[in-house]
Amino acid sequence: MNAGPYSDQKVQQYIEDQFIPLKSQCFWDNRTELMKRFDIAWTPTLLVLDPSAREHRRIIGFVPTDDFMAHLKLGKGMMLFNRFRFAESSHEFNAVIEQHPDSLVVPEAVFFLGVAGYWKSHEARFLRQAYDRLIEHYPQSEWARRATPYAQIAL
Amino acid sequence: MAEIRWESDFQSAIELAGKNHKPVFLDFWFDG
Repeated sequence: MNAGPYSDQKVQQYIEDQFIPLKSQCFWDNRTELMKRFDIAWTPTLLVLDPSAREHRRIIGFVPTDDFMAHLKLGKGMMLFNRFRFAESSHEFNAVIEQHPDSLVVPEAVFFLGVAGYWKSHEARFLRQAYDRLIEHYPQSEWARRATPYAQIAL
Repeated sequence: MAEIRWESDFQSAIELAGKNHKPVFLDFWFDG
């Protein structure tokens, strides 16, 4: 069982407050219906689902506690983003950036904070600002590459 | 201390998520 991060009180509190937590045991010699439904091929696999059971984030393998918290917040942010709730998603992306600065998912949060800012305002400068931030702080990240087209946007 | 109160039934968890306007955090684990 992936007991590691769950022993941390902040993680426990956050999951209790922000999610409906659900555990599902895997059996490789007799895969469960839920394993088949979500194509589970390794454990731990952690999913963030919306109330319609649509998947918005998948985490496979062990994740240290701080990264784990960042993934949870990013997952919640992506669920809101995918539902066009951009102000609320921005709140979650900012939480990842500000509260988990050493997490490897921060560049992804910066990228989507920029896109959410664009959708909220229809001002392209938010995309350029995301690009600038990624190039300055996370130039080797894949998210800096994905933001490359935004370099052409005038501030 | 807020121990995590895990659900074990998928459909119940989805219904609770709808009622409480919360996402579901689903942990697939293997005891091996």
